[in-house]
Amino acid sequence: MKYALFLGCKIPSGLPAYATSTRAVLGHLGIELVDLEFQCCGYPARNYDRDAFVVAAIRNLALAECHALDVLTPCMCCFGTLRQAIRMMTEDAALRARVSRSLADDGLVWSGRATVQHVLPLLAREVGVDALKTAVRAPRTDLRLAAQYGCHALRPSDVTGIDNPVAPTIFETLIRAAGATPVDWPRRLDCCGDPSHESNAPLSGRMTRAKIVDAQEAGADAICTACPHCHLRFDAAQAAESAPAMPTLLVTQLLGVAMGLPAQSLGLPHAEDQRADAFP
Amino acid sequence: MSTAHSERFDVAVIGAGLAGMAAALFARERGLSCIQVGGSGGILFASGLLDLMGVHPVVERRTWSDPFAALAALAQDEPDHPLARVDAASIRAAFESFVAALATTGLPYAPLGERSRSVLTSLGTIKTTFGVPRSMAAGADALDARSPCLLVDFRGLREFSARQIVATLAGGWPGLTHRRIEFPASGAAAELYAAHLARSLETRAVREQVIGLVKPLIGDARAVGFPAVLGLAHSADVHAAFEAGLGVPVFEIPTMPTSVPGLRLQGALEASVAGRGVRRIRRTEVRGLAFAANDDEATLELGDDPNGRRGECVLARAVVLATGRFSGRGLVADRDRIREPILGLPVMQPPSREDWHRRDFHDPAGHAIHRAGLTVDHAWRPLDGTGTPAWPRLVAVGSILAKQDWIRSKCGSGLAIATAWAAIHHLARELRAPASG
Amino acid sequence: MSPGLFQTLLVASLALCALGIAWRVAAWFRIRIGPDARSVTAWQRVRGVLATVAASLSGWRGPRVLGAFCLDALLLRRLFANAPWRALAHLFVVTGFTLLVLTHALAPFVTARLVPGYQPTLEPWLFVRNLLGAMVLGGLVVLVVARWRARSRMGLPHRPRAALFATLLGIVLATGFLLEAHKIASPRAFHRMTDAFAGAADPTALASLRALWAREYGVAFDVRTDVVAADVTAAGRRLHEEACATCHAKPASAFVSWPLAKLMAPVAGTLDAVSADAWLLHLHVLACFAGLALLPFTTFLHVLAAPFSLLLDAVARHGAAPARPLPLAARATRRALSVDACVRCGMCDLDCSVATLARHLDNRYLLPSHKLVATREAASPRLRQAMRRDARALADARRAADGAFLCTDCGRCTRHCPVGLDLAELWDAGRDDLEAAGLPAAATWVRERPAIAWAESLANVGDRAVLAVVDASRAPLACDRRTFSRCVQCQTCTNVCPVVAHAMDADPRSAADPGVDLTPQKVMNLLRLGLPDLALGSRMVWDCATCYQCQEQCPEGIRVADIMCELRALSVRRLAAVRDVAEQS
Repeated sequence: MKYALFLGCKIPSGLPAYATSTRAVLGHLGIELVDLEFQCCGYPARNYDRDAFVVAAIRNLALAECHALDVLTPCMCCFGTLRQAIRMMTEDAALRARVSRSLADDGLVWSGRATVQHVLPLLAREVGVDALKTAVRAPRTDLRLAAQYGCHALRPSDVTGIDNPVAPTIFETLIRAAGATPVDWPRRLDCCGDPSHESNAPLSGRMTRAKIVDAQEAGADAICTACPHCHLRFDAAQAAESAPAMPTLLVTQLLGVAMGLPAQSLGLPHAEDQRADAFP
Repeated sequence: MSTAHSERFDVAVIGAGLAGMAAALFARERGLSCIQVGGSGGILFASGLLDLMGVHPVVERRTWSDPFAALAALAQDEPDHPLARVDAASIRAAFESFVAALATTGLPYAPLGERSRSVLTSLGTIKTTFGVPRSMAAGADALDARSPCLLVDFRGLREFSARQIVATLAGGWPGLTHRRIEFPASGAAAELYAAHLARSLETRAVREQVIGLVKPLIGDARAVGFPAVLGLAHSADVHAAFEAGLGVPVFEIPTMPTSVPGLRLQGALEASVAGRGVRRIRRTEVRGLAFAANDDEATLELGDDPNGRRGECVLARAVVLATGRFSGRGLVADRDRIREPILGLPVMQPPSREDWHRRDFHDPAGHAIHRAGLTVDHAWRPLDGTGTPAWPRLVAVGSILAKQDWIRSKCGSGLAIATAWAAIHHLARELRAPASG
Repeated sequence: MSPGLFQTLLVASLALCALGIAWRVAAWFRIRIGPDARSVTAWQRVRGVLATVAASLSGWRGPRVLGAFCLDALLLRRLFANAPWRALAHLFVVTGFTLLVLTHALAPFVTARLVPGYQPTLEPWLFVRNLLGAMVLGGLVVLVVARWRARSRMGLPHRPRAALFATLLGIVLATGFLLEAHKIASPRAFHRMTDAFAGAADPTALASLRALWAREYGVAFDVRTDVVAADVTAAGRRLHEEACATCHAKPASAFVSWPLAKLMAPVAGTLDAVSADAWLLHLHVLACFAGLALLPFTTFLHVLAAPFSLLLDAVARHGAAPARPLPLAARATRRALSVDACVRCGMCDLDCSVATLARHLDNRYLLPSHKLVATREAASPRLRQAMRRDARALADARRAADGAFLCTDCGRCTRHCPVGLDLAELWDAGRDDLEAAGLPAAATWVRERPAIAWAESLANVGDRAVLAVVDASRAPLACDRRTFSRCVQCQTCTNVCPVVAHAMDADPRSAADPGVDLTPQKVMNLLRLGLPDLALGSRMVWDCATCYQCQEQCPEGIRVADIMCELRALSVRRLAAVRDVAEQS
């Protein structure tokens, strides 16, 4: 399996450990990752100009297509956004014409060949739970984890379709494959609050807090994330505390640790002292 | 379209309302591999109560406390009614299986008795139903005994007024009292919504606050009733916590759609179906359904996939059509006729549009359009234009069937669950299914 | 030029330079970018920076900090990583220029003291001077060409007096080479020398000397006035050895001036007649003085600002507390000096994550190079005054704000910046300044008025043509009433909306978070009724978390969240037209 790795804007500067751990884990599983000159997926532009948003998103896909690669991203927002852009191009012929003209200025063409995949379903389905279990050397039976699905990979399911949006299970399956125990927390499918942060920080804070409290009450040791936005939002909400009540752990870090990969290759422990991922 | 590498299932269920969900569950129970297509949004309008047969004859508005006796009468009066064609034992088994599945996914029901239960609604009316969620059961008990009860409502939850319920019942239940409390941390909102309260009550601190507000108000009441907001995904835990905290039986009162019990039912059914290994595709239409010449298998052509690529094709040895009526687009009313959109099956319907409705909206006899639908043979197979089954292993279940008026008969859930059971039973025999799955 | 005048001019330009530098450096401690910069005084900043740098250099991390500084500031490590040719050229320019100043301009104080018997006309100085001059000239040419080729389609911001300073530098180099070439070819210069050092020589020997100098030293004699022997005799050579050779090596090694001298040979006499040497010398010296005096006011102040920036960067990365941000004094200073340290090289723009958006939205303020300049302006009170007076300034400022708020903080610009600017931090501070100046993000300015007030403004617009059209190309779902024909107002969308849920305990008195004004189902209803203007100014449109629960759960398949996104883009455009009206009322 070979993919063009789409890191997006948040991971390289805000959460480089996610890139490191993704490369380490996927490399260990024999998946080849290629770096192309990707730009922003276009998510923030969607609020300003529909055409500009689609041009920005599709440019990335056209680039991947040019290299005959499919796109794999660890960020759920980028995943959902790129898929949304594809849908818009498919539904709206006039938009498609305008965007294609714009891309042609850069010498790029989009014909929809490059698919968009996220690390979570890639691991759960294409790699498969059996292959993961075989690769696990040190199952983390000590950990009780709250799986944070996030929003943009689950919904809308006709665009993202990684699992049943009302009753998803693939994240819990992955947690079990790593030997850990997933907890059943009532707010598991709720939004972390990150997208509202810019316009309404207090509201966003309440959304994040509610999830943290929920995970605590469900008896989780940490929230396991698969998106830098969720991950950083939970950290930011607890930044003022010296020891956060609910640490965060990336799914790639969890699997990497369970597979026995060296901690440093997974970005553990973090340099920033505000994050208290105290694993392994 | 190449079907060489398509996935193949024993049963394809088209539709994810109550009937479709029931069909998928029953198919898996019998070891049949199953794929289910369709959005489950219709379930959001459910109240959580499972009706079996409440009113018969419709025109007389006669209610029955014994649904099986009602069914017996129905069988006499309307032998072509879908429910008349399923025997009582099967109906019981179907319901038991259905609520058992729900129990495993966090939505327990009170044990099913021989008779219906009477349940107080948020309008202050009394409804007769067969399957009652456990969280509402104590209310049925309290109603039967007319024991002193406290009804609690929340300022801002406009859809539910305890005072109005008590007023509507007038002298019917003297021991019923009502109090209003302030939901914690809700000061800013002029209007509250049930689902948000339900989610909030899954947090211990909020729960304890509400319990703390209600406990001193109990007085002589022997049970406390709330609007249906006691939890969403973990309602069983929340309900138990309330009973433990208040020290008396606690019951929920079903509210208007879209209600929390509807959301719970949808969640529990999706989880059940997922848990039983049904391949589930939501929010994609079935673009085409074709049958192989040798009658061996059907090909479902699905809508575009999330990557914008041409929809996949799925093969199935049998198909269950559970697409519902007009709101779910199982039936489509054009200007001059009603049609079935997927296969164009003939729809039994009044001769012309003028006959669809009676003049008076509240006419006790109801309206002919509601009895329109697909006619099926003894094996639940819809008939084509020549009166023979359209396909040997295509069955139709639920509200798409003709000769029933589920709204006025108050038999919606029964119709869905019982016909699904019976149809799957036939299909299973047809397929002579081993325990594949 | 008399020595006295020379001295005066030198002192004057040095003084101007020093004052200019002092003025500019003071600005680095005075200018406040970011609201938090108000809480440190200039003096606190000076002390803070000194303390931080001292702490980093004195600790055990000191060598690492110094090492990083040397690598980045002296050896241009970052520039090499991004653009090796430009880095090499820059190194040439800096090395060449510095050494020229040391060995040539300051020769009496440096070279003459270090090397006994120093004469500028001896080896290796002839070669070295030309080499250094060629390095600078060559490097400059490469830099100019590389910058021109590397510019993005949206151009780069203007560099203060760059052309002027570069021209002065060019004049210095050109006049230097030309003067040397002229002196090589000039017969008059030869006469002056022979009058002074070979006055008693024998005419035959002189003629022979002239022959030698014509052949090997490039002098272009006019045979009508000077007798040039046919051959170089032994006597001529002896004369050369006695009178000339001690101070003059063959100038062929001056590989730029020598060919130039050959080219100038035909007009050597004419140039002598007009005292070209004096003109060239004056030009050369005056250009130097002008450059010196002007340096602090041109982009070339970066020779001081850039190393300072790189020092602070080295301290931030490797100093006393690398995991934590620098103290506010240092951060505020770093922000203030960024505009002076920035050389507008455009490396930040090349890899910018939103470059495509910048092009498509035709807003150059999305690009870091332009955003930097805009950030500096946003911090100044002049901007606020300009905005009030001038509609174009206001429009431009708003575009700058759009650019600032569309930045995704990906950090690429910071990683690429060769002068170590902390752009990421600067953008944060800049956004705060923009908000304080009344230029917040759309999510904020839309929320400044209630939805009904916006709707009234839209309704009262006289010239409907100024309003952006609510058209299907931008908002295909929101504009098509068929989208909503199946909406039965079941309130499922509202019931599953986390914004509505968590607005329960909002504070109605707060401006930032007063609670819900229109629930999702109400917004859908307004659109269903064909009244988009009533919904455009709603807070819900921007508070929406795009979690897609509404769209997922809608029993009728209405794409509620997609519609919210469309409304955002619509509101930005349509409400912009009445925004000024709103602010005046």
